[in-house]
Parts: sequence; structure tokens; C-alpha cells
Amino acid sequence: MGFIDNHILSLMTFLPVLGAAAILCVPRGKDDVIRWIAAAASFLPLVLSVKLLYAFDRSVAGVNVAGQFQFVEHYSWIPSINVEYFLGADGISMPMLILTALLSFLAVIGSFGIEKKVKGYMALFLLLETGMMGVFASLDFFLFYVFWEVMLLPMYFLIGIWGGPRKEYAAIKFFLYTLAGSVLMLLVLLALYFNTTNPETGGHTFNLLHYMAQSTHNGWLKGFDVRILLFLGLFIGFAIKVPLFPFHTWLPDAHVEAPTAISVILAGVLLKMGTYGLMRISFPIFPDVTRWFAVPMAVIGVINIVYGALCAMAQSDLKKMVAYSSVSHMGFVMLGMAALTPTGMVGGAMQMFSHGLITAMLFFLVGVVYDRAHHRQIDGFGGLGAVVPVYTAFVSFAFFASLGLPGLSGFIAEQMVFLGSFDVFRTIVVIAALGIIFVAAFHLWALQRVFLGPLNPKYAALEEINAREVFCLAPLGIIVMYIGVWPMPVISLMNSSLVHLVDLVKAVI
Amino acid sequence: MIEPPAYLLLSAILFGIGVVGVVARRNILIILMSVEVMLNGVNVAFVAVGSYLGDATGGIFAFMVMTVAAAEAAVGLALLIALYRIRETIDITELKVLKW
Amino acid sequence: MTPIAMDTGALVRGLYCILPEMVVIGTAILVLLADLLLPEEGKKRLCHLSVAGVAAAILSALWLGPGKIEGFSGMIVHDGMGLFFTLTILAAALLTLMMATGYSEWEGTQKGEFYALILLSTSGMLFMAEGTDLMTVFLGLETLSIPIYCLVGFHRGRMRSLEGAMKYFLLGAFSSGFFLYGIALMYAAAGTTRIPVIASMMRDARLYGNPVFLAGIGLLLVGFAFKVSLVPFHMWTPDAYEGAPTLVTAFMGAAVKAAAFAALLRVVLLTFPAILPAMSGVLWVLAALTMTVGNFSALLQNNMKRMLAYSSIAHAGYILVGLTAGGVAGGQAVLFYVLVYAFMNLGAFGVIMLVAQREDDGYDIDNFAGIGFRYPVLGGLLSLFLVSLAGIPPTAGFVGKFYLFGAAVRSGYVGLAVLGVLNSAVSVYYYLRPVVSMYMAPAPEGIPVPRPPRSAFSFALCASAAAVLLLGVMPASALEFAERSVLSLLM
Repeated sequence: MGFIDNHILSLMTFLPVLGAAAILCVPRGKDDVIRWIAAAASFLPLVLSVKLLYAFDRSVAGVNVAGQFQFVEHYSWIPSINVEYFLGADGISMPMLILTALLSFLAVIGSFGIEKKVKGYMALFLLLETGMMGVFASLDFFLFYVFWEVMLLPMYFLIGIWGGPRKEYAAIKFFLYTLAGSVLMLLVLLALYFNTTNPETGGHTFNLLHYMAQSTHNGWLKGFDVRILLFLGLFIGFAIKVPLFPFHTWLPDAHVEAPTAISVILAGVLLKMGTYGLMRISFPIFPDVTRWFAVPMAVIGVINIVYGALCAMAQSDLKKMVAYSSVSHMGFVMLGMAALTPTGMVGGAMQMFSHGLITAMLFFLVGVVYDRAHHRQIDGFGGLGAVVPVYTAFVSFAFFASLGLPGLSGFIAEQMVFLGSFDVFRTIVVIAALGIIFVAAFHLWALQRVFLGPLNPKYAALEEINAREVFCLAPLGIIVMYIGVWPMPVISLMNSSLVHLVDLVKAVI
Repeated sequence: MIEPPAYLLLSAILFGIGVVGVVARRNILIILMSVEVMLNGVNVAFVAVGSYLGDATGGIFAFMVMTVAAAEAAVGLALLIALYRIRETIDITELKVLKW
Repeated sequence: MTPIAMDTGALVRGLYCILPEMVVIGTAILVLLADLLLPEEGKKRLCHLSVAGVAAAILSALWLGPGKIEGFSGMIVHDGMGLFFTLTILAAALLTLMMATGYSEWEGTQKGEFYALILLSTSGMLFMAEGTDLMTVFLGLETLSIPIYCLVGFHRGRMRSLEGAMKYFLLGAFSSGFFLYGIALMYAAAGTTRIPVIASMMRDARLYGNPVFLAGIGLLLVGFAFKVSLVPFHMWTPDAYEGAPTLVTAFMGAAVKAAAFAALLRVVLLTFPAILPAMSGVLWVLAALTMTVGNFSALLQNNMKRMLAYSSIAHAGYILVGLTAGGVAGGQAVLFYVLVYAFMNLGAFGVIMLVAQREDDGYDIDNFAGIGFRYPVLGGLLSLFLVSLAGIPPTAGFVGKFYLFGAAVRSGYVGLAVLGVLNSAVSVYYYLRPVVSMYMAPAPEGIPVPRPPRSAFSFALCASAAAVLLLGVMPASALEFAERSVLSLLM
């Protein structure tokens, strides 16, 4: 087992793409074989992620301390410019790795209903999973960027080919927005590269840990204004992915047009990459600029919360409503992070994890009704509660989790965010708390219009949720409930890293 | 003996006449001839400088340039004939199938 | 006057130095002879013969190795950089000729002169890449260009082919005049045409400020700018690319560009340190204009060939960014990118050649609708090449662009790097258009059936794809080779 233990992150990253290669070799017409290969290729990383969870030492921080990263794999990749193949995990990346493995597997199962060009779909999906895992595992900026871009094309194709009626428009919009962000990231990458050195070899470096150690006293980086510029470049790049207001307009289009499982991945994992990037790269490399920019970040977070909720309330399309609810929820993450307190930071990270699970449920559930009714107009249903009681129970559960009902994971995360940020930005937090009212409002209103009231006779014979769909939803529901009651396993997973991150950002240089 | 600057001036004038001819004329045949004038301007410069420096290279280069000019003229005239067979014109402004 | 003694040793050494060139020229002559003897149905042997000749030339170049060999009293040198470009050009020629196995059958270019012209042009490129005397470079340039004029106009009955050839010829001859006049003026000012000698004189600042010399180098640059199609000297490129038989277009994009940049790199890298302030501004502006105009014009195109022509202009701009940066890093980036560009460009043209049923309107982007799913291998390959041209990881195009822009940042040209990165973001839009058409547009009724590729053709496509992926994931050894090559020039 030595090989598996030593290369666990590489295996998690590259097993899916091996699966994709295997799928390409399957002859035409054997769609079931393809589906099961895909399921296996995404199930193995999930198994490995459980192993990862048990082997992970929760007491050490990582973040900027090279010796404290776990499951490290460190090789030279392109020696002439010192690109390293450098993977490792700490408390920031652990929850994301587990979330990615879980949601990818469930999304593959959820995609078993896809009939159109199964081969291409599954191969692209597995390539996407490799990109996502790689982003969360890499500690070398070049490697991070490569994985970040590798994700882009499969996503573009998955939306553009298997999407809804306006798929080309949505796909190209997603692509161009994200690409604009990547371009900014690439420029920052070059600037950092040429102004830092690897202390061991003396050459320039892409190692994120070296950046963190040298970011304020080398070359151009000495100037505060240069650091602000670089920070903002990265910030916009990541903000597009989150997406933070005003860079969010690609999200509703992409979500509405994407097939169900892809929406799940988009909202469950891809959005987290933005905030993960801020935690992993922006904050520790530019601590002083982070402090300087904390208030604007909090304000943006609150705008996201309130604006997202108001937009969600105005939607007539159920999926679009869920998409805007993501915008709102990601605002909580931003608010918690901007507070720069341990509680706020952990709350933000908790919200990332929790929102990943809840939004995945929501999108799956929207997919269930869309598969049967072939539309998603909130006002086009009515009284479904009597026809499909199990489905109604699931939706109610997910909606309550999403609006932050105590006892479920969303509540814990939001409360931690409020607790952590209240002392820092009182007014802003009060506005955010008021925003919760809107969040609750649109959920309940939608619930009422779809499931209560007189039954729409068109849907009197609506099919109940089937076993495969329950299989996708149940694990998510159980984890949401478990964390809601007993959040310590997740909190302890990331606590030491995030506390260390806050200390790092707060430390005045 | 005339100094090299005078020869260089002559070559510049010849070259300039050639350039103007290429830019201003519409008849492909005349454009081809103008290119030849340009190349001959170059030859004057090569020969003058070579003999001033007492260096054979200049003269040798002039021969090479002539050879190249002959080869270019051969290809150019061949293309021109092929073109004339299809379009029955040698007006450069008539070449407008390909645009933007 | 005593007759000059023939130095047999020097002659042999000189011939040894140009061994790959001789192999290629020899093959061309053999092909012409064989053309007379072979019956009509055996003409495809000509293609096989040419492929074998180029393969032999590659072997002979490898046999010469990266050590420095001077020939013909220093008019030509086989050094590390010469080897790098020799291999790049020969690889491009080899892939082109392999594709010719199929293309010639469909488009009626199964003729001895077609292959002989490609081979002769290749030999000119090799001379250009290894020439250390401005005159050798010029002769190489002409040996390269004259066969290419003929090849562009090879489809004598097709108006577009002839028109492209005529325009290319007139502007090419015109630019040759500038190139030559530049050489003559430099000769007048410096008394020599050897590039290293001129470079060393410039380090002593003896030439610096001499107006005749500066005018000479300016005219030389204009000549080069025409050949590598830098804006505003690019007008011929789209017409010649669209008009030419597609195989020739692919060859031009890959090999002609490599050869012209090889010579330009030799001139600029050696003479650059001395004239830095005067030249860098000019190169900066040329690079910025070329990238921007190339990309934005490509956005408007509906014909694949024309779009790729403008894209090749944009790529010349990217490569010029590396030249502007200069130094070892810039040179290395240029070498690597020229190699990568050869593969992705040939690959992309190879696929569209198979899909398009006829020259001219067969290359409209709408013609590619629905190809992606009906012919998954072709669709996948074309997507790969276009993605690489757009510079998205993990393809070689990304690593290449990263090096170019990285070199620019290292030399302090941050603005140029930013402009380059923004430009490549714009370019993604038009590279994705055919992909959108292939996969997302509804397939029309009479979807074109691509030609069944010959095995050599398939091999060429797969080799290009493998190179694009390998150079993207494992670029280390190629980059080291490029670095050593540049160092060998600057030593």
C-alpha cells in the first residue's frame, strides 16, 4: 500500500482522467459500460478521500509552513523555469477535496439519465474532476493555473453541448468571463515569478510558500501600490469565479442552461474555487493588502447576500432562483473571510462546505422535477405536496437547510460568520442579518407556490422521486443534518489552519 | 574619380524610381519592370562600394542579384501569362476576388 | 595574376556543413528525374521518395550534431541554433509531404514539380536558417520564396490561387528589393556583410550613429517584416494563404515562418545589444500592432483558411514579443514557439483539409457544422489544435506563450506582455467558433463526408497531436535544447 499512501493526492487527481481515457476506448453503443466506468473512476477518489480524512493530522496548520503540509508530493516538472509538481493538503484544502470527491461521484450517478452522447459527456466530466482536484491539491502557482484552465474547456463543452435552449450563449459567456479572470491571474503569476526566488537554488520560483515568505520585500513587490495592483488582479480573477457582485452575471445563464449534474458541480465545487483561491493565495501572500481591503470585501459580501436574495425572489424559474440563492450564500463566505477573525474565517470555510452540499441537493431536486414536467416555472405547478410526498419532503428539507434552519449545517455556518464579523463591521452585519429575511422569504414563497394550494391537474399523475435520485440526495441530507447537530468534525478539520491564516494576515510586518 | 557617395546617390535615385513605379503603376508588367529597376539600383551600390573598398565581394554579389532577378522575372512572367489567360487583363486593380 | 589555389579541404568541410541541404536538393533532382520515368499511375512513388529524402536529411542533420561547423569561409555555419531550426523546418516539411500523400490525389498535385518545389523551398529555408552572411540569408530567402510563389499559384485554373500567387509575388519581390538595398547600405557602411563581424563592430560603437548603416538596418527590417508578415507589411498574407492550395498554406505557415524568424533572430540577437534603444521601440510597436491587428481581423473571418491566415499574423506578433525581449530567455522562447507553432498549425490545416470537400467555399466555418460528433476523431484533433493555438493549458501553445510573455516581463516590457495576454484572450473567441460550429450547431442535412485519410496522412496528424500534447506536458527537454541553441549563438 506504500504507493497509494505516498501518492494519494496524485491518485485522487489523475484516476478520473485515466477513467476518461478508458471510456474513450469503449466502442460505440455500450453506454452502460461507459456509465459504470465513470462511476468507478469517480468512486475511487471518494474512497481515497475517506482514507485521507482518517490519515489527516488535525493539529498542524500548513498554510505557509512547508513542513506542515500533509500527503506532500514534490517533484521538479519543468526545471528550466523551476516549475514544480507540488501537491499537498492542509486544513484549507481538506474539506474542498472531500467535497469534490463526494459531489463528483454523486453527479456521475445523477448523470446516468443522460442519453445523448454518453461517451463524450462522461469523458469530459472526468476530465473536469481531474481539474478540480488538481486546483485544490496544488501548491505551485503554475500547476494551480494549469489545473484551473484545464477545468475551463470541459465545463464549456458540458454546458454548450448538453445544455438547454440557450446553451451556446451561456457557454461562451461562462467561458469568456472565466477566461478574463484567468488572464488577470496569469499576469499576477508572471509578476510574482520574476520578483521572488527559491532560497535553495536562487532561481525564480512558482512555489506558493516562497511567495508567502517573500511577498513584501523583493523587487517590485516592495511597493505597496504594486501589491495592491497584484492583489486586485487576483481578487477580480477569483471574484469572477465566486461570483461576487458585479461579476456574477454569467452565473444565472450558465446554471439555467447547464444539465442538472453540471449545475451541481458548478455551484457545489467551482464557485468555491474563488473563495478557496483567496484563502490559499491572495490572503497569505498579500496580508497587508488584505487588511487594507477588508472593508470593501465585507461590503461586497453584503451586497451579494442582499442583492442575491432579492434577485432570487424576483425569479419565476426555479433553477434561476436556486442560482441566485448561491450568489446570496457565497456572500456569507466573503463576509466571514473579510472579518479576519478566527470565528469568521472558520464560518466562511464552513459555509463553503455546507453550501456545497445544500446547493447540490437543490439542483438535484430541481433536476428531478424538470425531468418529469419539462419546465421549471414556479407558478406552473401547485399542490404537488399531495402527489409526490417524498419529493416534497426532500425539497422542504433542502429549502430549510438553505434558509438556515437551526439544526442543519447552513445555520451553523451563518451563525459563525455573524459571530465572527459582528465586532468588526457592526452596520454591515446588521444589514446582512436583515438580508436573511429575504433569503427565508423567497424559499418559503417558492415552497408555497409549488407544493401547497390547489393541485394543478396537469401534474396529478407526476411520478414520485426514484431510487437513483434518492441515492444521490440521501448522503447529502445525512451529512447536512450531522454537521448541523455536531459540527466539530468539520471545524476541527480546518480550525488550526484557518486560525494560523488569520494570525498570518493580522501579523503586522 | 567619382567618390562613392555619388554612386550611392545614383543607386538611391534608381531605387526610389523603382519604388515609386511599383506603388503608382497599375500595369503588372510595369510593376515588374520597376522591381528590376530597384534591384539594379542595389547592384550599382554593391559594385561601387566593392570597387572603392578593393573588395571582390561587392561585384560577386551584383552577379548573384542579377541571377536572382532573372529567376524572379521568369516566375513573375509565367504567373502573369497564366493570369492573362483567365482574366484577359494585367491591371493590378482587377485582382479582387480575395478581399478581407 | 596568380590563379587562386583551390583549397580542397575547405570545400569538403563546406559541403559537409551543408549536408542536410544537399540531401534535400539531391532528392528534389531525383524526384524530377523519376517523374520522367514513372508511369502516370506510379506518380505516388514521387511522394514516398520525397518523404524518404527529408527523413534522410533529418538523420544527416542529427549526425552533424549541435557542434559548431563553419563552411565556405564563414558564409554558413551549422551551430546549435542552426540545428534547432533545421530540425524544425525539416519536421514541418516531412509532415507536409506525408499529408501530400492524400492531398495530391484529391487536388491534382500529384506531379513531380510539386514535390520538387517543396523540397527546393525547404533547402532555401535551411540555408536561411544557417546563413551567417547577409548575402547567404538573402540567397536562402530567394531560394525559399521563388518555389513558394509557384506553389501558391499551382492551381493554374483557379482564379483565387493565381491571384494569391500574383499578389504574393509582387509584394515579395518588392520586399526583396528593400531587403537587398538594406544589405547594400550595411555593406557600404561596414565594409562587410558577415553578421558576426558587423555585430562586433557595433559593440565598438564604430557604426552606431552612422545614418547609412541605420537606414540599411531599417530597410532590412522592412524586408523581414514583409516575409514574416508583420503589420503593416502583412497585406499579402490573407490573400496568399486563402488562395494557395491548402497544403501549401500549411507549409507556408509552419516552415516559411520558422526560416524567416531564424534569420531575423540571428540578426537581432547578435546586433541587438548595441542598438537596443533605437530598435526596441520599433520592435515594440511592430509586435503590438501585429498581435492586435491580426487578432481583431481574424475575429471577422468566416473562412477557416483566412481566419488561420490572420491568426498566423497574430502569432508572428507573439513571436516578435520574444524577439523584443531579447537575450537568452527571449531567444529560447522564440525557438520553442516556432517549433510548437509548426506542429499546431500543420495539424489544424491537416484536419480542415480532410473536412473541406473543395477549395474556396469548402472552408467556410458553417461547413464544419456537426462534424464533431459524426467524426469524433477529426473533431477532437481539430479542437486540440485550435485550443493549443489559443494557448490554453495543458497544450504546448500555452507553454510557448508563457515563455514569450515571461521573457517580456523579465526584460521589463510589462506593457507588451499585458497586451499579449489580452490579445490571446481575444483570440480564444475566434478559435472557439469552429469548435462551436462542430459540436453545438445543428448538423445540416448533407453533412460533408471527410476524405478517408491515407495512413501517412493519419500518421502526420497523430504525430502533430502527440507533439502538441507532449510539448505541453513535458516541455523540459525541448526547452533545454532551445536554451543551449541560443547560448551557442551568443557564445
